[in-house]
Amino acid sequence: MDAIRTLDATDPAGSSGPDRSQRRRVGLLHRFANPGRFLRLAARLQPWTNALALVLTGWGLIWGLFFAPADWQQGDAVRIMYVHVPAAWLASAGYVALAVCSVLSLVWRHPLADLAAAEIGPVGAAVTAVCLASGSLWGKPMWGAWWVWDARLTSVLVLFFLYVGHIALLRAFDEPQRGYRAGAILALVGAIDLPIIKFSVQWWNTLHQPDSITLTGAPTMSTSMLWPLLISALGFSFGFAAIVLARLRAAVMEQRLRVLLLSRGNAAAGAPS
Amino acid sequence: MTHLPYIAGAYGLTLGLAAWLSMAAMLRLSRARSRLRAVEQRGGRMGGRRP
Amino acid sequence: MTRKSRRLWLLVACGIGLGSASALALDAFSANIVFFVAPSQLLATPANGRTVRLGGMVVAGSLHEAHRSGEPVAQFQVTDGQKAVQVRYAGILPDLFREGQSVVALGELASDGTFAASEVLAKHDETYMPKEVAEALRKSGKWNPKFGPAPSAASWNRMSVKTDTTRGS
Repeated sequence: MDAIRTLDATDPAGSSGPDRSQRRRVGLLHRFANPGRFLRLAARLQPWTNALALVLTGWGLIWGLFFAPADWQQGDAVRIMYVHVPAAWLASAGYVALAVCSVLSLVWRHPLADLAAAEIGPVGAAVTAVCLASGSLWGKPMWGAWWVWDARLTSVLVLFFLYVGHIALLRAFDEPQRGYRAGAILALVGAIDLPIIKFSVQWWNTLHQPDSITLTGAPTMSTSMLWPLLISALGFSFGFAAIVLARLRAAVMEQRLRVLLLSRGNAAAGAPS
Repeated sequence: MTHLPYIAGAYGLTLGLAAWLSMAAMLRLSRARSRLRAVEQRGGRMGGRRP
Repeated sequence: MTRKSRRLWLLVACGIGLGSASALALDAFSANIVFFVAPSQLLATPANGRTVRLGGMVVAGSLHEAHRSGEPVAQFQVTDGQKAVQVRYAGILPDLFREGQSVVALGELASDGTFAASEVLAKHDETYMPKEVAEALRKSGKWNPKFGPAPSAASWNRMSVKTDTTRGS
């Protein structure tokens, strides 16, 4: 329980009496609220996510760039797909992770969820930026325009601004706990954008083509292009996880450091201990 | 390869951003780790003990 | 009811409220969210003098290209399967423009029924296939790109494996 109190020390607003008594009963969920246990598990996980990210991304992208066939009408420009589509999937998946962390934070007051949300945000924003930029570089030679305001492109741009807004909101408060609360609410309100992104190409006519890979139907893509795409997407996902994991470990350590220095500062100032 | 500038741009941007994010995360992690270790060693009695 | 479950239900209620509000708003504005109108929609409600985007497939055999004072001028018909509209465009067409391709043209419908476009974008579909496969499908008479989208990938995926290995690429 010492560890939980370490995190709670920076969290005067979020830990009131009844919650604390419940917290002892909720075993599984709060097991990882213990930063020591989280750090040990994460340190063991990190080499695996790193290795899988490097190997799978390298494999998928080299396959896509040099060995997959060119498209019959798009030529080699179709190879942009191997970075654009994984980035697009991850932009949405990262936001789902952000929303899950926000629920854990708002309902269960999970201290690690706040830190995780704060670390997922910037990585998600970067992935969304890659999706938008690579899509622009694909759209210019194929469609004839860098950008159009159709429902798909606009809803993904909104997703980017949601990520950026989340990052800004977390830093807008003097008291971190209030920032986490506001950020979690923003993230959950913004989650309404996810189904709009997904179904925009079906609900409205757009310049962006519909999805080639769906859960319900067979892919409308040659298998010689599908495999490198799936491998690249898997590699990108592990890369996302690896970066978020490393940032989260650093964030937990930094918080522990702050608490240690604070308590030491108090002790040095002659506070009764 | 047709459309080479566009392809190079998309891949370069993606890999560049990925490399930057990874390096930044690694540096931040190693700095946090070493600072935490230094502080814990300086005053082990103050709460540096592991749970 | 514990504080935790009260927070959870509050969140669920907010989610339902926000979700249905957004759904209603999107439904109400869906006419403005569409990126283009089809030829039959355009002809049913002719918005004379108003700039709109017209989307549809370029009719096979309808494309006529000419050069007028150094600038390329293209004329073609765009159809949605029900009605077709004659489009005039002065400028360079995108690489993917061809008969049988979907396009989106920005412009206005003139009183003589032709659509004067100031911008033409190519809208490719979600089918991706290697060149060899497209060639083989065309030769075997199973598909002519001029007349619409490609057959389903399941019908040619085995073929693509075969051509890839014989080419040894």
